[in-house]
Amino acid sequence: MSGIVIGNTLRTTWKQILYWGLGLGALGLYIDFIASSPDIISGYAELLSSMPPAVLQAFGASDVALLTTSEGWIVSVFVSEAAIFLSVFSVLAGLNITANDEQSGVMDVILSLPISRAAYLLERWIGYALIGLAIILVTAAITVGGMIGMNIEAPSDVIFASILNLYPSMLLVMTVTSLLAAVMRRRALAIGLAAAFVIVSYVFNAIGAAAGGVAADLMESLSYFSYVHGEAFVLGTYDPANTIVLLLAVLIGFGLSLKMFVSRDIGI
Amino acid sequence: MASGSIIEMRGLSKTYGSGSKQTVALSNLDLSVNRGEIFGYLGPNGAGKTTTIRLLLDLIRPSQGGATIFGLDVRADSVEIHRRIGFFPAELSLWEGRTGEQIIHYVASVRGDTRGIVKHAGELAERLDFDTSKKVRDLSSGNKRKLGLIIAMMHSPELLILDEPTGGLDPLVQQTFHGMMDEYRDKGKTVFLSSHVLSEVQAICDRVGILRDGELKAVESVSNITNVEFNWVDVDFRNALPAGLQQTLEDMPTITDVSANGSRVRMRLIGDFDPLLRAISSGYVESLHVEEPTLEEIFLAYYSGDKEKS
Repeated sequence: MSGIVIGNTLRTTWKQILYWGLGLGALGLYIDFIASSPDIISGYAELLSSMPPAVLQAFGASDVALLTTSEGWIVSVFVSEAAIFLSVFSVLAGLNITANDEQSGVMDVILSLPISRAAYLLERWIGYALIGLAIILVTAAITVGGMIGMNIEAPSDVIFASILNLYPSMLLVMTVTSLLAAVMRRRALAIGLAAAFVIVSYVFNAIGAAAGGVAADLMESLSYFSYVHGEAFVLGTYDPANTIVLLLAVLIGFGLSLKMFVSRDIGI
Repeated sequence: MASGSIIEMRGLSKTYGSGSKQTVALSNLDLSVNRGEIFGYLGPNGAGKTTTIRLLLDLIRPSQGGATIFGLDVRADSVEIHRRIGFFPAELSLWEGRTGEQIIHYVASVRGDTRGIVKHAGELAERLDFDTSKKVRDLSSGNKRKLGLIIAMMHSPELLILDEPTGGLDPLVQQTFHGMMDEYRDKGKTVFLSSHVLSEVQAICDRVGILRDGELKAVESVSNITNVEFNWVDVDFRNALPAGLQQTLEDMPTITDVSANGSRVRMRLIGDFDPLLRAISSGYVESLHVEEPTLEEIFLAYYSGDKEKS
């Protein structure tokens, strides 16, 4: 692995870091702004408390009392919304790893160069993983910076960690999309299935958390959203096993996409 | 010309789909390309030319058979092979938002010798009159192809694999390209050139392979293939055609495709001229013009299955 493809990926897509980081950072500042007003968040919490649990879950909160605190509000609302936006980025990044170049025909030129398919896929994956990490760091920096600037009394390290905790799920969605593109070959089909993966995960998480029973628990455990609850950092219930599960899934997904990409015909 | 084969294909086959939907793209191809030659790979669209090239580049995998380049297996040793070859794809796609210069630098860095390769790319750009500062999206299709040729040739590869390289290039650039190919041959390098531009193959290739429906129909040296035994003959008489001459010509076993127009008669003559000269001696022959068949006509003769007849 020479790192040349990683460098080229970063060079050609650094603007994405800026756009996505600033966009999500702006969302963070908006959440900060609301969090800076105790009246607004308590009123909002009161409104949410009258709603069914599924709706509450859709707003990213399982505990209304937590929403009345600044840190609870930020991690519950911001992290759940950022997770959805980052899923969109992750699908796009997953397609950029190989599918877009294969669809356009550029892949023929790339793979006629002295670089193996495995090395190319790995370097592209690392490139987009680094871009995703940079976006999350920019987002966290802006959100925490806004919090400090607005004199919100909340632990910065907890907020920062809860936003950084989005990274494994971002990697998972990116890897699943890359795997789908490697298996399906058709970009449009890969987009559709990746979007379905995100939406079904979201629905499973909302229903699973709201309803009780074995089936609901199973649905929740199948959703990657259930492994990225920001609230756990505020409540002190963060379980590293959740992160390990996601990273394990990333590893398996990457291994499968590598196997598929290396063994199949290109560009057909 | 140095001897020894650079490319070896043995029983190379590629099928797509299965059952009743199975399509044979390439069937049991046996072909060798020698070091130092320019090999023309001819065939109409869908004949299997690009499939062959994609198999050689390990972009697609054979259903049966295999191939070696430089004695290395195209699948197991693809990275080493790709280090020593240059490739120009028929449907060239490049990074639209990047300039020619950026692409050249990137490809050169993947190849591992940025300075030397970029220097040579600059020389090629100058010869092809190509502006490397423009973004790909702003280039005409001809200029995109120039950039593709630069990328294929800038590391002075031992083997060039070119899939329909000159389509969209203006005649002057085509001439420059032909000169470059001659230089490649002079340096003992090898070119595998797929084309349906027969005059181009005739002008620059040493040998030619003719492909149809995924099957290799013939491999001949260009000098042999253009030295086939038939000629087009035009005879102009001072007055009208002698009575019954057209019928006489049509009845002759070595003459076909007779057409008369006023005092002129045109025909395809196979073999010796003597029977024709005797037949036309009844009239006053003002001029006699002999035209060798074009490669296209030979090509069509192969296709229509009348090679033996010719």
